[in-house]
Amino acid sequence: MALLQLKDESAGYNGKEILRGLNVTIDPGERIALVGESGAGKSTLLRLFYERLGAKAALMPQDSALVQALTVFHNVYMGRLHQRSVWRNLRNLVLPARADVEEVRKVLVPLRLEEKIFSGVGELSGGQYQRTALARALFHTGDVIVADEPVSSVDEHQAREILETMNAQKQTVILAMHDRALAIEFADRLIGVKDGQIVMDQESAGMTPGDLDNLYLNGVE
Amino acid sequence: MIARREPSPLARTTTGFLFVAIVCWIFADIAISTSDPWREFGLLLKGIVTPDFYATNSLGLALAYTLAFALLGVALANIFGFGLALIFHSRTVRVGCAFIRSIHELFWALIFLQMFGLSPLTGVLAIAIPYAGIIAKVYAEILEEADQRPLSAVPVGAGRASTFLFVRLPDAWAHFRNYSMYRLECGLRSSAVLGFIGLPTLGFHLETAFKEGYYSEVSALLIMFYLVIATMRIWMKKPLLPVYLIGAVIVLPWGVAFSLSNIIRFLTEDIIPYPLRAGGENMMSAFGDWLSLLLLDQALPGMVATIQLTMIALVATGLLTLVFFPLISPLLLGRAARTGGHTFLVIVRSTPEYILAFVLLNLWGPSMLPAIVALSLHNAAIIGHLIGRYTETIRLRIDAAKGANRYFYEVLPRVYRPMLALLFYRWEIILRETAILGILGIATLGFYVDSAFADLRFDRALLLILVTAMLNICVDSISRSIRSRLRLQTTLEQR
Amino acid sequence: MKFRTLLTAAAVIAFPFVPAMQANAADKFVFTAIPDQDESQLRKRFDKVAKYLSTTLSTKVEYVPVKSYSAAVTAFRNNQVQLAWFGGLSGVRARGLVKGSKAIAQGKADPNFETYFIANASTGLTLSKEFPKEIAGKTFTFGSKGSTSGRLMPEFHIRKAFGKVPQQVFSRVGFSGNHSRTVALVQSGAYEVGATNFKVWKKGLKNGTIDPKKVRVIWKTPGYPDYNWSIRGDVDKAFGPGFAQKVQSALISMNDPDLLSSFPRASFIPAQNSDYAPIKDTAKKLGLID
Repeated sequence: MALLQLKDESAGYNGKEILRGLNVTIDPGERIALVGESGAGKSTLLRLFYERLGAKAALMPQDSALVQALTVFHNVYMGRLHQRSVWRNLRNLVLPARADVEEVRKVLVPLRLEEKIFSGVGELSGGQYQRTALARALFHTGDVIVADEPVSSVDEHQAREILETMNAQKQTVILAMHDRALAIEFADRLIGVKDGQIVMDQESAGMTPGDLDNLYLNGVE
Repeated sequence: MIARREPSPLARTTTGFLFVAIVCWIFADIAISTSDPWREFGLLLKGIVTPDFYATNSLGLALAYTLAFALLGVALANIFGFGLALIFHSRTVRVGCAFIRSIHELFWALIFLQMFGLSPLTGVLAIAIPYAGIIAKVYAEILEEADQRPLSAVPVGAGRASTFLFVRLPDAWAHFRNYSMYRLECGLRSSAVLGFIGLPTLGFHLETAFKEGYYSEVSALLIMFYLVIATMRIWMKKPLLPVYLIGAVIVLPWGVAFSLSNIIRFLTEDIIPYPLRAGGENMMSAFGDWLSLLLLDQALPGMVATIQLTMIALVATGLLTLVFFPLISPLLLGRAARTGGHTFLVIVRSTPEYILAFVLLNLWGPSMLPAIVALSLHNAAIIGHLIGRYTETIRLRIDAAKGANRYFYEVLPRVYRPMLALLFYRWEIILRETAILGILGIATLGFYVDSAFADLRFDRALLLILVTAMLNICVDSISRSIRSRLRLQTTLEQR
Repeated sequence: MKFRTLLTAAAVIAFPFVPAMQANAADKFVFTAIPDQDESQLRKRFDKVAKYLSTTLSTKVEYVPVKSYSAAVTAFRNNQVQLAWFGGLSGVRARGLVKGSKAIAQGKADPNFETYFIANASTGLTLSKEFPKEIAGKTFTFGSKGSTSGRLMPEFHIRKAFGKVPQQVFSRVGFSGNHSRTVALVQSGAYEVGATNFKVWKKGLKNGTIDPKKVRVIWKTPGYPDYNWSIRGDVDKAFGPGFAQKVQSALISMNDPDLLSSFPRASFIPAQNSDYAPIKDTAKKLGLID
């Protein structure tokens, strides 16, 4: 059964229509990258997917959006906020429960963040910051991850590490990416957005970054 | 043809306020009526340098009460204020908060004295209620300005409470803590001043000692007060808070109990206008006479004097700020001079304007002058401090002018807007204080309120307090509209 | 940590409201006095009186100081004190507010009390038999707003003489707060003219705090009834039958000169509510009571 099906739908925000005539079906296990010029509507489409998926999906928003005043533990724990009672959440905010700390630690170990578990996120380096945002999405129990430019502010080495982890840990991955090479490398399916419409939807196998030139206004990014 | 230069809105507002203040000044009573003010000032100075810590009976207890009222009052205000901030989007809550904070803590204390007598509840609530109104507003603004981006990362299905706890609260918390510390400092000042109307805090002894000319005792009391405020950041530690609060509860004399019937009587009889209480066939016309007499003979002259004094004090505050902020600005003074400047500003802004006015009134005799000087010194020290700190963030180019040219061409144009923003922000605060200074004998609204309380006419007192509150709310909204028209903003740290 | 602190704080703050709601148990007899002079000396003056009453009545008696005349009345009204040393006006107000309360004693001088108008020497005014109309246009200070000898009677005579309210007669009108302060302010020249209680004036002359070269009496009012001890009507119920009577005789039999000098009065004599009818009428006429 399909995870998600859009039939001739439109999307926008603040009452302004940005995308129309959307026809997309997403099946479990797919690895999808949305490509296109910045401002073309990738984020809007991504948000529409996330809204339809509901609690099945974890979101990794643009610029990570961590809560500055909290520690790594608390930010990651937020991934399961919806599965715990308010009291449990309150308790963990004040005095983290050992069981929950262990759960969070399991997610942090492969991301090399174990040491930082009780550090404030303000003290982290750029890469650690991005990985914390990933950890929060991974801690979410849903099978789907929806990520908006998850590797925009890290170097290529770290970017690969984050994308590999994502692919390894979540069954379905939906990304918005501006880096065409990485998108082709890590996704099996590319959805191209231009002029408020989906203009391309195909498997990535065998494609080169040059094949995507027509998505961009001047052919070059 | 040369284009005529249009004055900027900023310049127009400035000239407008200057003009109004000058007109007010012309009609103001600003005489020094004592025959030999310098002799008294000399005695005061002599007393200040020879403090006598043993002159006051139970000085320690007065200090403990001052702390206890402030701690419990501010703690209660924080709890209520926080709760109200959560529902601040409701119009009723917003208007209610504006109302309770428009009434000065001394007026609240005068009201509660009638209901609870000298019970500690009087002092605690007098601080807690207006402060809750202020805190609610500031906390609501802080929550509004908290980083909203993480909201999108909260999993679908997480409840509102959990989302609030993890996303909005943590960012705001540090601001809350800072602001609470500032409020505690204000609370200590208020608590001391409550002594002037009979609560057993430092002000109680300060007023007596001052009136009788025991300046060495005055000096000791003031030194204790400055010490408490200056060391606040050292002794006020989070883990110790419960200890302090329990201590505050233990130290206060709760034995002075009150009866419910007093409270009910106050609310259902005392504050009902006399003609209505007395009844009779001509009740309504008697009530009309009562009301018009009170409004025309007391509220109106009181309001005129209050506005007059407020306008002069506001503009004087602005002018003094221009002198005060350079005292701590690294752009204009060296390190040694700045240390002196800091000390001066700290002392002036820690002294409650009420006490400052009281001191000057005793030296110069009753006119508007002591009030103008006290209000402008205190407020200019506060704004001067904030603006001085703000200049630390200004980077001048290496070849920038020096001396007076630097002040007028480089610094002043950069700080003028934030300074005006803070001035308008404090306008309402200056008005609140102006009204209350009437208790000291200047003919502002507070004078008539105090007289009504002295005559045990609580119906009149309450009506006059309501008039004061309305005036306050008006000025607050005028100030807000001027600030938004001129796009003057204050930052969180400056509230 | 933060929330634990918050919760503890909430619990701590809620707790005192419970005991505070219980009414005062009538285990000790409390009195107060209007702060009519030398505020810092109030405790010294009246703690001695409390001690005397404790012994004489064999009940625990305590004095509580208050900051203003109206606070004394309020404390009496709210039963936080059961006995008070009032002025004529404050006594009338207090007894009007507490049903059954009565004046039980007054100083020997009180049925015929006087207010002295005093002036700074620089005014050149001297003692006159007639009301000194020359004071018009000068600066003038009363005592407390709620005082009989420092406010009510002088205002009455000023209005009678000029047919105008004091604010229209003088260039500036102040309220010094109490009688000794009125004397000090006129002596220092802060005000040119003032009105003070004749007992306080005489005491100041004797103590040497008044310098006759700087300040002098310019007019003496006719006599009127003033200070009184008033007691609540419900004390017999709270402290045993005949208690008010016992208090009255304790006050009247006070003969220790040291105690009496703190008032200062030669002795105390019985008083009754009707003695103060003239004060009540005058206050009504001036619009100070409804």
